[in-house]
Amino acid sequence: MDDWLIALIKVVFIWVWVLLIAVIMTWVERRGASMIQDRLGPNRAGPFGLLQPLADGIKLFTKEDIVPDKAKKILFSLGPILFALPAFSAYAVVPFGDKIVLGGKEIILQVSDINVGFLYVVALGSMAVYGIIVGGWASNNKYSILGGLRSTAQLISYEVPLGLALLAITLIYGTFSLREIALAQQGTFLGVFPNWGIFKQPLGFILFIVTAYAEANRVPFDLPEAESEIVSGYHTEYGSMRLGLYLFGEYVNLCTLSALIVTFYFGAWHLPYINMAAFLGPISYGIASFLVFFLKVSFFLWLFVWVRWTVPRFRYDQVMGLGWKALIPLALINLFITALAIQLTI
Amino acid sequence: MAKPVVEKKYTLGERIYLLEILKGMVLTWKHFVFNFMASFRSGPHTVPTTWQYPEDRREISPIFRGEHMQTLDDQGREKCIGCGMCAKICPAQCISIVKAKVPEDQQELYAGKTYSSSFNIDLLRCIFCGFCEEVCPTNAIVLGQGYELAEYRREGCQRDKARLIENFRLARESGKLKPQRKPVIVAEPKAKPAPEGGAQKDPGVQKVEQAKPKKAAAAKETT
Ligand code: SF4
Ligand code: SF4
Repeated sequence: MDDWLIALIKVVFIWVWVLLIAVIMTWVERRGASMIQDRLGPNRAGPFGLLQPLADGIKLFTKEDIVPDKAKKILFSLGPILFALPAFSAYAVVPFGDKIVLGGKEIILQVSDINVGFLYVVALGSMAVYGIIVGGWASNNKYSILGGLRSTAQLISYEVPLGLALLAITLIYGTFSLREIALAQQGTFLGVFPNWGIFKQPLGFILFIVTAYAEANRVPFDLPEAESEIVSGYHTEYGSMRLGLYLFGEYVNLCTLSALIVTFYFGAWHLPYINMAAFLGPISYGIASFLVFFLKVSFFLWLFVWVRWTVPRFRYDQVMGLGWKALIPLALINLFITALAIQLTI
Repeated sequence: MAKPVVEKKYTLGERIYLLEILKGMVLTWKHFVFNFMASFRSGPHTVPTTWQYPEDRREISPIFRGEHMQTLDDQGREKCIGCGMCAKICPAQCISIVKAKVPEDQQELYAGKTYSSSFNIDLLRCIFCGFCEEVCPTNAIVLGQGYELAEYRREGCQRDKARLIENFRLARESGKLKPQRKPVIVAEPKAKPAPEGGAQKDPGVQKVEQAKPKKAAAAKETT
């Protein structure tokens, strides 16, 4: 097989897989929310309501696509695409498994192992804000623009602690490549703990997960679409499949962020204390590593849902205060301690 | 008096949020697990706070005011005498009636001397107040238990007499008829006036007669 064919298959595969997860997530979110709130949730379409996302999709497709009169037409249609695209693209560097041997050829389970994968992820993370601000601006609606502005302020201030938390990770592993970071998390650390990022960077993990919630615009940081304050923020004027793309992009974003959390802090595809490669065949090892990875990812996806229905929304100034007055100093301290520890141990 | 503002001092643990959020998550997790287990139990009414409507209907009161029906008496005769009182009292004006004399050859179909040759209720306008039932002198119109009245077309919400009688038949078969809510005044030919009834009636009539001149006098005084 040619290399480009393998790459194409990997791209298509991970694309479809992430889409599938996002689709299932819409169902998980609604059922999970209802269970937490003592309701039942959508349970009519298919077994356990599993076909509900399909029904939603059909509904969104058949709805009238309204573009407001005074909206900037081109930007208006560009907004959702700008939002969804970076979310998908970030998956290009996520190692979703170790490697699989097919027909004597070793295939790395990652679309591309670029050596600055880390920077690529951070860069794409800040791209997502364009989708929101462009959509909010083009809608010609004050609530939309407010949502867009909030999102900009929030993303910019949370991008800093996110980057600083990740910087500490690169200090420890000494590489920008996500695959190498994942590989380095095998084995144990200090004899007891699994060699995972969370045990080396507990503060960094907390910082990262908090900023991840802010980056994904999820409760408690869902200010850009705060329903009780600004209707539904940047996508107030959107309907039909454009809205669908926004909602979908959000879930793809969640999936990407969960994958990053797992890659950086939860040992990617490694199981604690067990070396799967030692006793599994080359093909089954590839599949097992893939499954372990997505098992961990699904836990964090569920955590997003769980937190969403537990914590109320922060006030705008509280979000900003938390970002600038707590997270950034903590991230700097974390970076300093990490650097010091590395300097002392080497 | 305004409520005094209580300045709550937060402990460090509370100000870090994370611990408090974890506490909240434990609470929501308990709810989740409870409902999750409940949703696997068999039977329609699994989650205690929710009625799963089409499978799981709640008991409705026997005097529920739902879809109307036109009652028949023991001999299968229509009770309605077409007096039009229900149409008159209906606040939504949704009943329309045409009154007619019972033809000689159809005496066995109707209980009274007159009947409603057409009787129509527009359920789109009806507010289910039950006034029509209350005012009807022969207990002919009764509000039943049916509440699933959604239709695809407006015309489907009209109820003509045949449909109303059909409603009654169905209710009688399923044993969901409520007891008659008032004694029926049987329209007997007035042969002999009942002595007690007459005694009760007379003072009332007199009172009315007395009241009239007084009112007139009062009116005169004010002018
Ligand atoms: S229930 Fe009320 S509104 Fe409905 S028909 Fe009877 S009197 Fe009219
Ligand atoms: S239903 Fe009752 S109130 Fe209405 S016309 Fe018939 S007898 Fe009179």
